[in-house]
Amino acid sequence: MVDGRANNRAMFWRITRRLLGANRGRLFVMLLALGAGAAVTAALLNLQVDAKQRLTIEFRSFGANFVVAPHGASELGTTATLPWDENVMKTIRVQAYEETPIVPFLYLVASAEKSGSKMLHLRGKQIQTVVIGTDLVNLHLVTGTKFPEVFGWERSDYENLKAECFLGERIAKQLGVIKGDQVALLYKNRAEQLGVLGIVSAGGPEDNQIFMELGTAQRLSRMNGRVSLIQVSYPGTPREIQAFWSKLASQLPNAEIRPVRQFAEGEAKIYNRISGLLTATVGIVLVLTGLCVMAAMTNVAMERKMDVGLMKAIGGSMRRVLRLFLAEAALLGLAGGVIGAAAGIFLSMGLGKAVFGVAARPRLIVYPVAVALTTIVAILSAYPLRRLASIRPASVFRGEA
Amino acid sequence: MFLRIVADSFGRRPRHKLLTGAALALGMGVATAALSVSLDVGDRLAKEFRSLGANLLVTPQVDSLPLEIAGVDYRPVNAGAYLPETDLPKLKTIFWHNNILGFTPILELSVKAIPHFRDDERALPPNRNSWPDLLLIGAWADHSLHLEDGASFETGLEKTNPWWHILKGRWFKDHAEECVVGKNLARKKGTSLNGGILPGLPIGDNLVIDRGSSAPPLFLKTVGILDSGGPEDDAVIIPLRVAQQLANKPGQYRKLYVSALTKPEDAFAKRDPQSFTPTEYDRWFCTPYISSIAFQIQQQLAETDVRVIRRVAEGEGQILTRVQMLLWLVTGAALLAAALAVGASSAASVIERRTEIGLMKALGAGSGTVGFLLAAEQLLLAFVGGGAGYAIGIFLARLLGEKIFGAAPEPSLIVFFVVIALAAGVTILGSALPLHRASRYEPAPILRGE
Repeated sequence: MVDGRANNRAMFWRITRRLLGANRGRLFVMLLALGAGAAVTAALLNLQVDAKQRLTIEFRSFGANFVVAPHGASELGTTATLPWDENVMKTIRVQAYEETPIVPFLYLVASAEKSGSKMLHLRGKQIQTVVIGTDLVNLHLVTGTKFPEVFGWERSDYENLKAECFLGERIAKQLGVIKGDQVALLYKNRAEQLGVLGIVSAGGPEDNQIFMELGTAQRLSRMNGRVSLIQVSYPGTPREIQAFWSKLASQLPNAEIRPVRQFAEGEAKIYNRISGLLTATVGIVLVLTGLCVMAAMTNVAMERKMDVGLMKAIGGSMRRVLRLFLAEAALLGLAGGVIGAAAGIFLSMGLGKAVFGVAARPRLIVYPVAVALTTIVAILSAYPLRRLASIRPASVFRGEA
Repeated sequence: MFLRIVADSFGRRPRHKLLTGAALALGMGVATAALSVSLDVGDRLAKEFRSLGANLLVTPQVDSLPLEIAGVDYRPVNAGAYLPETDLPKLKTIFWHNNILGFTPILELSVKAIPHFRDDERALPPNRNSWPDLLLIGAWADHSLHLEDGASFETGLEKTNPWWHILKGRWFKDHAEECVVGKNLARKKGTSLNGGILPGLPIGDNLVIDRGSSAPPLFLKTVGILDSGGPEDDAVIIPLRVAQQLANKPGQYRKLYVSALTKPEDAFAKRDPQSFTPTEYDRWFCTPYISSIAFQIQQQLAETDVRVIRRVAEGEGQILTRVQMLLWLVTGAALLAAALAVGASSAASVIERRTEIGLMKALGAGSGTVGFLLAAEQLLLAFVGGGAGYAIGIFLARLLGEKIFGAAPEPSLIVFFVVIALAAGVTILGSALPLHRASRYEPAPILRGE
């Protein structure tokens, strides 16, 4: 009996093998349809997860989305400051990621003039302006505007920046200063002489301001270890950003944590739209692709009348016959899925590279999901064979049906 | 005879034809839906990005430097230049006037003011010099601007600063003596301001503004509380007309925020317009790049300096380009999958008809005739299936568009032709290989069943 069962099983697999190998053209066509479906499923699933994450990083091109300021910092004419030390920085850093830009700002209103000219008293025009002490290297990460001269600088270049500054386009024009000139800044009765590293055009208030290293501004104003505010550019989905905000607020009770509403709100809205669009498009494409593959496969399966008729004629029960065809379909689906999904994951890495400049990270979970989906589609598409149960073998062979 | 054979083939095997047709229709449905959404998404998202507010800033050309810290200009009223309000309707006469979604002129000033619960001067603190300094922002909230062509244009803060919310109450009317107060100032317990305490300013109370000893103070009724998330929470927003009156600058403003619908800047748009040839210049001028819109505004408003707010414009351009590319790739993948599945389906339907082909050949048909016959059948199927697929796709794209953007994409004729052409191309290609092989069949072995 045990022997018989083993024989049965061996026979089952032999028939399945023959079914698969009988018509190479058909095998190729089925594998092509299933493989294509699996490839697109895997590629889109992988890309969709990755793209959503990349988008949150893309949104950081708008710059900072949080401002940490002392309570009441926006009052007229007062310049309340926060202590700026390793502690504050660390508190924020612990909540954020290693590479999250955290940039301090110290605002001063100082007089500026072009210097280096012998006839200073004749040509030098003093202009009152806003001077900002900050982290020049990372500034572009929170202003959403590139600072071309320091773009891509390393920390090791940092020392050189201590006696340098950036000028906004408009103030530079008013002072008559170009790149490489010297600028003198007067605050109360202290002065500082700085080289002009570059001129920036941002279209915002930055165009009227002078930027320098935080240390330089603190030296000028004698406000050592103080900042006016800190800007943070935290990447994440709207929910993650909300969570970050509430954690930060509880950690820094002495400061006011303000989301930059203009960007925070717009971003949340746009992110939800884009991610919804992506999910819906991918969903529709997947469902339709699945149905399309299924229709193609069913078309092929329905051609198997002869096979079914023959099996029934030599005494196969319908259940057994159906099991044979389902096994064949499952094997096909598995093979198509394994090959197609692998191709799809490579495809999605390429696509990610094309869109975001960074290859999409392959997510392992996508692979089994895609293979499973393909196998299910393949089995479902073989299911209509059940309808062949009513076939009378004789009429098939007479060519009547 | 030819038609009879084709008709007979459809009549004899309706289920097979239906399944091949269904595969085709579904595949082409994917193609249509993905194409329609991709074609449409740029415009829709560009509009979404306007929730980031203004992307252009207009200031007087000859102006003293603003002393702006965290969004608040600390310059005195008499410093700097102003722009005439009467020029504003001209903004809607530029080439891309339909892309100007909104604009708001701003006039900021600092005054001595105090909240007061009465409508007259009784019980006011007499020493006006002790009143706290307060920042007033004169602007349009929801302004109806009369254009030169007789139409009117609704614009104001609600368009250019959509992230400003009215917590309670409503926006002021532009012609009334009303104001909207920042949420920090509205607090019941009051706010510390310049060392003094400013009592809270709830809705219904008056803001009394000192106008010097020669004029009686001005009373503005508080009608709403503003939550801006920015420095405006410590300021009072008043109608532009009232600000002009207080600053003694009738019909003038200091800066103008413009929100314009733009096309993301590409390499071409980033070039210096000075270096363009006349044709390139025309192309640049007639494309809604932010730089060309800024240029056109500058031409219309005399003596102004129009700047692109890079933070908004650049981020928007970058993300739009990326998302559009992403969707095109999804579309490409969908097209590929649809094409392969449909091609496989057509190939299968030809492979299964070997006997028929053999019979036709035995009866004296040439390979060409057989191929032509089968191709005609497939093409007929492609047109029917493609048409049905287009209908499915348009329906899905509508569903998607309405769900996500609240507006359905316009069905486009181009998509229809692309989809039909794709359906025909894919079926023919899918059938080509088996047909090619079929043309080499010897009829006898096939008919013998070998």
